Amino acid sequence: MATELQESRPRSTPTSSIQLKYSKDRKVGEGTYAVVYLGVQISTKRKIAIKEIKTGLFKDGLDMSAIREVKYLQELKHPNVIELIDVFSTSNNLNLVLEFLPCDLEVLIKDTSIVFKSADIKSWLLMTLRGVHHCHRNFILHRDLKPNNLLLAPDGQLKIADFGLARSLGNPNEDLSSNVVTRWYRAPELLFGAKHYTGAVDIWSVGIIFAELMLRTPYLPGKDDIDQLDVTFRALGTPTEQIWPNVSNLPQYNALRVYPPPSRQELRNRFSAATEKALDLLISMTQLDPSRRCDSTSALLHDYFLEAPRATNPNELPQKREKKKPSNEDDGTIKRRKL
Amino acid sequence: MTEQEKESENGRTEEVPKKQYISNDDLYRRSSQFELWSFTQESLEAKKKQANEIGRRIAKQRFDEAYNKLKQENPTIFEIHKQELDANNLITLLSHEEETKFIHAYCQNIVQTADYFRMPTQVKLTAISLFKKFYLENSIMEYHPKNIMYTSVFLAAKSENYFITIESFISRLKDVKQEDILDLEFKILESLKFTLLVHHAFRPLYGFFLDFQAILLHPSPVMYDVSIDTLGSLYDRAKKWLNEYAILSDVAFLFTPPQIALAAMYAIDRRITERYLKEKFLDDHTVNLESIPEHNDDVKEEDKDNEALKASNESSNQREYCITLIRTIRKCIKLSKLDNPTPEESKEIGKRCKAALNPDKVIERRVKKLAAPTTTTTNTTTTTT
Repeated sequence: MATELQESRPRSTPTSSIQLKYSKDRKVGEGTYAVVYLGVQISTKRKIAIKEIKTGLFKDGLDMSAIREVKYLQELKHPNVIELIDVFSTSNNLNLVLEFLPCDLEVLIKDTSIVFKSADIKSWLLMTLRGVHHCHRNFILHRDLKPNNLLLAPDGQLKIADFGLARSLGNPNEDLSSNVVTRWYRAPELLFGAKHYTGAVDIWSVGIIFAELMLRTPYLPGKDDIDQLDVTFRALGTPTEQIWPNVSNLPQYNALRVYPPPSRQELRNRFSAATEKALDLLISMTQLDPSRRCDSTSALLHDYFLEAPRATNPNELPQKREKKKPSNEDDGTIKRRKL
Repeated sequence: MTEQEKESENGRTEEVPKKQYISNDDLYRRSSQFELWSFTQESLEAKKKQANEIGRRIAKQRFDEAYNKLKQENPTIFEIHKQELDANNLITLLSHEEETKFIHAYCQNIVQTADYFRMPTQVKLTAISLFKKFYLENSIMEYHPKNIMYTSVFLAAKSENYFITIESFISRLKDVKQEDILDLEFKILESLKFTLLVHHAFRPLYGFFLDFQAILLHPSPVMYDVSIDTLGSLYDRAKKWLNEYAILSDVAFLFTPPQIALAAMYAIDRRITERYLKEKFLDDHTVNLESIPEHNDDVKEEDKDNEALKASNESSNQREYCITLIRTIRKCIKLSKLDNPTPEESKEIGKRCKAALNPDKVIERRVKKLAAPTTTTTNTTTTTT
């Protein structure tokens, strides 16, 4: 079904000619609010993914996550954020033309035949933090960071994707929803139902992803929202007024089992391959009190990134191994909302 | 560090070029608001003219179709009343100036609608912004502002996380159907070139409120008659000023949000704002900023200032910077004051807008009127007898 025509001007392309600017080769996935196709940008032969958002399906018009995704991706141009190449409409459907990213970090973490060197982990963490830093300096919170939203380009670059839950850092008097971020990566202030929070929720997620990269298994896999609190505090200690002033005023803070904070030795045992500096950074990103958690700037300037080994060049990072069945090839690009 | 030291250090580090520091201004310059929706006065005017021309073309076409259809249906009347039914005399299309006036007046309705729904300021501001951007691409002679206004409010509410269901939105409005809004939502998004993030002047205004305190009150008060209360009331009045003037005018297309915010402070209290700028940018506080002549506040002068800025040394650079800034915000204040249409003028434009949108009704009415006199006369005669 590939169709062709000439290149027309970017961004505000008229509906009529745009369908001919890209080929839509095959459908690779279908979610509740979008269908994803693989295709090619005719003029550059560049591989692309077209996310066709079903409008008219929602009784309230354009879907909120579609609005968010378009709104924020239009503003965020960065090597570590998925590129929104174009937006166009076909018969009242919204089409997002995104760069083609064949794999994601979750796929690699789960593939036990691949060995992660500590320099590889450093490289992925660095790219994640750079992307997050770019969001935060534009006053945008991602609010759904997890390994399968960290997509990998053929050249090894890591790209933050799925901005369906993102939002601008609100005014201080504005309430935010605490029901964000996929459970295992949800910061304690969100678990406690905080209505005001900051970029620290994203940093927590990155910290948990860092831990998962080292462990090769989810660090805090709670079975449900209640269990998530238990799992989190068993690993990192139950927050008290001493270490987190005013924590007991948060809506969901009650009847907690009290676990002591882990000793340095316990963490060393759990993350046996981590250097002292890696452990320092992990601890800094997973501080229970969000105001003590490091921000993206101080994380990027952390000594961990200065000590040997140097982060692996993106194009030398481990890649997904070729699978025999081509039908599985695109698993990573198919995004289904988990919330 | 002196200039020479800086240079020599730069010389040493030449081999390993340091990554350029990215300032907030750099980030702003990459925003869609700056890239797609910021204009000079001339380019904004041109954009409006272009939208108006498209509108005129569409309205003309629509008129011609209706005219020819009715002419075919009523050949005799068109023959008898050639002059009354002359195509050139039936409707007068709107100029781009008239469109602008009408759109600005309509923004007031957005404010009322948003207030009626008790929506946060952010939603109100974004709705106005979406509405105005729509009419940089389209004409009111193609899309009547009423439904575009409601749809802008509905879309802005979603975009600013203040979701309201279509039913509850509709149920509190008069004469609007669900599909009126849902059908237009997409069209608006398209006209916006799919950009939704809007930076407003209120956040930077709050920033200036804090910085005024830091600069003018700490560690000790700089002006004997300026206290935290003075600044608090200045801030409140500046907010009001933004609501009253800036948000309805076109300044958001011409200036950055911090410039507009500073203009609001300056419009309310020139003395305090000038002192703040002096304290912040100038070592020599005796420089008399008030002496900047008003009549020089135009673009050409600014260009000259920029030249001077490059040529001169650090301290006079700062002075020039400050002067350029003041000129810019003065210009912003000037352009915030709208030439609002009178109610009669508004009504007249509204009428012509409707006529352009529904030429068939205008022509039909005229045809009926011309065909009717006999019946009307008989009617009158019957009542009088």
